[in-house]
Amino acid sequence: MKHFRPIWMIALNFVREQRWPILVLQLWVLGLAALGLLTDFQREREDILLMFKQLGMYGVAFSVFFGGSAIYNERRSRRILAVLGKAVTRRDYLSGLLLGVMLAACLFCFVLGFTGSWILGGIGFSVLHIWYLMLCVLAACMLASSVALFYSTHLNPWMSALLTGLTLSVPGVIAMKFGGAWGYILPVYSLMRVFLKASFEDSRMLGGWAIAVAMGETVFLWLAASWVFGKIDVAVAVD
Amino acid sequence: MPAVLEFHDIIKEYRGFFRRRTVRALDHFTLQVEQGEIFGFLGPNGAGKTTAIHLAMGFVRPTRGSGRMLGQRFGNADARRKVGFLAENVALYHRPAETLVRFYGALNGLTGETLTRRTREALKTVGLSHESGRNVAKFSRGMLQRIGLAQAIVHDPDLLILDEPTSALDPLARYAVREMLLDWRNRGKTIFLSSHLLSEVELICDRIAVLNRGRLVRTGRPAELLESREEVEVVARGISVTSFPSAEVEPENRIRILVRANEQRSTIERIWSLGGEIVSVSLRKRSLEDLFLELTSGASPRDFTKIPTAPSSPEAI
Repeated sequence: MKHFRPIWMIALNFVREQRWPILVLQLWVLGLAALGLLTDFQREREDILLMFKQLGMYGVAFSVFFGGSAIYNERRSRRILAVLGKAVTRRDYLSGLLLGVMLAACLFCFVLGFTGSWILGGIGFSVLHIWYLMLCVLAACMLASSVALFYSTHLNPWMSALLTGLTLSVPGVIAMKFGGAWGYILPVYSLMRVFLKASFEDSRMLGGWAIAVAMGETVFLWLAASWVFGKIDVAVAVD
Repeated sequence: MPAVLEFHDIIKEYRGFFRRRTVRALDHFTLQVEQGEIFGFLGPNGAGKTTAIHLAMGFVRPTRGSGRMLGQRFGNADARRKVGFLAENVALYHRPAETLVRFYGALNGLTGETLTRRTREALKTVGLSHESGRNVAKFSRGMLQRIGLAQAIVHDPDLLILDEPTSALDPLARYAVREMLLDWRNRGKTIFLSSHLLSEVELICDRIAVLNRGRLVRTGRPAELLESREEVEVVARGISVTSFPSAEVEPENRIRILVRANEQRSTIERIWSLGGEIVSVSLRKRSLEDLFLELTSGASPRDFTKIPTAPSSPEAI
């Protein structure tokens, strides 16, 4: 409880500080859903599914963006000093940021799942499958943001995003080529593959293992990021 | 009684990318701040004052050496619960003043009625009660500094670490802050104050330390430091300035000679022997500014033109 309160406050503060990009993302999803009402659902159902998948990809990209820039923005603005000047450990601070990114991802997945259930569910897509896919996207967002947050403890957002992209794609490419155990390493690719391969015909809930692995690796990355962040000088520019 | 804040033989170096360039910000820095005192921390820009404060708060780590704050190693979050910190160039989230102070109070473990009461008291102390609903994004620099002070005192800390707390304040607000600090000291709190406002430091600090290029060059009580080398100003007329090369020429054929107190008699006798006349003899007590300039540049205030480096220039001070 002693640690949870500051973590929760830092998370809510993060969401508040990022409210405009978060709001734009939700409006984008809701806007496209509203636009979908004007189309012939049955005739263009494959196009609607494709749009749904695109939006899921945006969610992961935004998680990387949020995770990769969170610490940098706070350090650059020097607001981090007033927060870390209180009874807040570096691990609490990082946990708060990660929780904030996850809250934003949860909100996004909820809105996407809600509009997906409304539109795709109306044209024959399994609603239960939609929420399962949202769980896959959420796990991918969590993992991707924790990788980005790990890099952002000591790098600027551009380097952080670049290295996050490489870190997530290399195991994915190798897994695609050779399969096997590579799929267990940072399984963002595996999770998004389940999401992107989803269809009206196949409602199997594949890749459940990847969700569990992603959660485990998120915890590991959070611990690693906390360790690195605990060693660095936060009052020094990261450029 | 153990020191409230203790730096022990600390070296802090900042290394550039690939460690090609290293800057030593603190060089074998040792200092102790005792409980219940207002401690003034002085030094020119780039002397290492902010680095020392950031070390105490745990924002940066020493390259070598160690330190303790309220009995805990630097960087301990539980120790920070009893510390109020105001950073130089305060940067805070943009939200209504009361909400903001509540946020920082809550981060330090305050809850419920206590949080509400302490928030209002802190805003009242810094004179911002009437602005409690206004977003700090619309505040002037002086008001921001005051709200920064409010977030530093909201949890009633035992130790206040203030980095340039009054630099943006008008004289009235500066006076109010000075009174507040004295009141806090009288309540047994400790204040570690970094400031460029030497007159202010001279007025309220029990002890001061002067830092230059990362090294502690002097520490002690202001009265002791300023009285350690009293000087006498002798104004004479009727003699040539060439007799006293360090003298300054004044109107009406007068010269002004600055000598150490123990050289007063011999100087007067020499003026008389040269046929001169004494106009006045007065004790010249050094100001903190004189001491500061002497310690940080090795020059007297009159030697500005001789000072070669920027940090020691009068503008920087």
